Amino acid sequence: MPTIAVDAMGGDQGPDEVVKGVAQVSLETEIESLLVGDEARIQAVLERVPYNPEHIAILHCRDAIGMAETPRDAVKKKDASLLVGVRAVADGRAAAMVSAGNTGACVLACAQHFALLPGIKRAALASVYPRQTEYDGQDALALLLDVGATVRCEAPELVQFALMGSAYARRISKLPSPRVGLLNMGSEEGKGGDVLAEAHRRLRALPGIEFVGNVEGNDLVRGKADVIVCEGLLGNVALKLLEGVAEVLADVTRSAADSRVTWRLGLRLLSGGIDRLQALTDYRQYGGAPILGFRQLFLKCHGRSSSSAIANAVKVAAKAVRDRVPSEIADAVAALR
Amino acid sequence: MKALRFRRPPAPPPLLCRWDLDKTYLRSEFDTLAQLWRTAWETGADKVEVPGVVDVIKGLKATADRRGRAVQMQFISASPPQIGKAIRDKLALDGIPYDGIAFKDQLQHLRRGNLRKLREHTGFKLTELLRGRAAAPADARELLFGDDWESDPLIYSVYADMVAGRLGGALLERVLARIGVDAASVPGIVAEAARVAGPARVDRIFINLERRSPTGVFRLYGPRVVPSFNYFQTAIVLASDGWLDPEDLLRVAGALACGAGFTPRRLENSLADLVRRGHVTPETGDRLARPLRKAGLLPPGPHGPADWFRRRLAALRRRRPPLASEEALDYTAILERLPARRATPEAKAT
Repeated sequence: MPTIAVDAMGGDQGPDEVVKGVAQVSLETEIESLLVGDEARIQAVLERVPYNPEHIAILHCRDAIGMAETPRDAVKKKDASLLVGVRAVADGRAAAMVSAGNTGACVLACAQHFALLPGIKRAALASVYPRQTEYDGQDALALLLDVGATVRCEAPELVQFALMGSAYARRISKLPSPRVGLLNMGSEEGKGGDVLAEAHRRLRALPGIEFVGNVEGNDLVRGKADVIVCEGLLGNVALKLLEGVAEVLADVTRSAADSRVTWRLGLRLLSGGIDRLQALTDYRQYGGAPILGFRQLFLKCHGRSSSSAIANAVKVAAKAVRDRVPSEIADAVAALR
Repeated sequence: MKALRFRRPPAPPPLLCRWDLDKTYLRSEFDTLAQLWRTAWETGADKVEVPGVVDVIKGLKATADRRGRAVQMQFISASPPQIGKAIRDKLALDGIPYDGIAFKDQLQHLRRGNLRKLREHTGFKLTELLRGRAAAPADARELLFGDDWESDPLIYSVYADMVAGRLGGALLERVLARIGVDAASVPGIVAEAARVAGPARVDRIFINLERRSPTGVFRLYGPRVVPSFNYFQTAIVLASDGWLDPEDLLRVAGALACGAGFTPRRLENSLADLVRRGHVTPETGDRLARPLRKAGLLPPGPHGPADWFRRRLAALRRRRPPLASEEALDYTAILERLPARRATPEAKAT
């Protein structure tokens, strides 16, 4: 069973929710978690919950990176839990890392300490989000990459993102041939400027992936593509828009219930469906989003991750290690060359 | 000239080990009626022990023998004597040396129509513990082994404080009533406790965390109670107290590695957990780990001055104040945390 390093101090609710998530994993699986952070605080949480110590190790460090810190300054804290954990993975003490901490610092720490896979030009931060499915067996989650690691991209980098996302979806979502789409402002292949047009041409000619052409913003939440490729700036805006819409919907529903008794009654009647919808759009269910392109694996969880989200992320990280996702990506890129 | 006379050093005080059977020695499954029914019909060969427990018992005996210390192994079970044959067969199969097994005679209570006593195990256990204590040499030291399934930490702690003369009179009566001891048994227990009370003799109470109860809930019971997740942890504390020799600790770790799939990393994590919880000092942990590393049962240790310095820093960081003093426990606080019980008829009458 692989060892997964977990940034105990990362996120809005670290170390409490992070440690509880790891404790849950220790009882349910044989995965070894290496909790990185302040030992006394981690132990204080552990003593309040059931856990299996055989599957938990602690790597002590004093510092932590705040969610609002600028990434460049944050990664200068050499004894911060994120940096210590990333180094532990780079040194081979753990096989992958999970963190709910500062996203920019996570990407920068990986760039500083992890090695890129042969042939990979840029790493990509992917995001897993729920969407409508179009056929039986299609995963209810889609992969959007890049969502912020590489702000501006060239066509060859977008092609590599497609290969990386496709390899990840093959291994993790168990889709034999994931559909890959290019996020653009229209479905026609010449749309979106030179870079996107060139990326479209290359992707269409690429063997080994099922390219479905351009996908537009409204296609993001439909099942047209399983892997959606874009540059970091666009991906980040799209992701935040999806999250914002989901949050506004929840707020509107809540305030509707407060406004009128009849609406409250109606919502009560629909509560089963609303619960299912909330479960579908609840980021806490999906664990983490991978940073792809490095020899080592990194899963970035939402900053507000609950213990179950952390537990899911640790399990996904272990699965990605077991299924040799980096090797799959390296093979796909090597085949392209 | 006076002839040189060699005087043999006095024999060390005897050791009395008291073991609960189900969930402590045996991996008994009786969470459902079907499992309970199956357990009742199991033979000795069907019964499965908790990994490592056999080697801990054999190790305790071997260490005591090497030091010329008399040792007694006694089992106390709330199961009926009708399953005694299966238990004795199992102990014989495992090669466990034992000096007595006390069962709860449920049939007798049934015949007398004493249905309340059928469910009441606390009074039975305390009575048996006191009976064993009275029969043992006065200077015998005790180790108690139970689990977190029922109320072993509390029963054992009450017993330990009773025999140490730290718990008696009205407080003892209140504690016994609150933990559900049958009212008819209370005067007998209080009188017996007063009779055997002497200097503190229960060294440790080991609680096998079969239900994975949060370890923090045991803090109230003080450092005498050691909640352990596996018998390697139990063996480590026994070795740090001198009840188990290093070669016996090695045997326990080996048995878990060969028979229960414990990897060196799992064993190392178990040891580190004990140190973090303060049951073993970092220095003792390091000392006990050395032969285990040499035997390949723990991962190779860190080397070099930098690692030595890091380990020292970790040791300083982990140095925490003692878990609690050796005085009587705060039973008021412990009782407050107990789940509410149904009032007994006597309590209702008052």
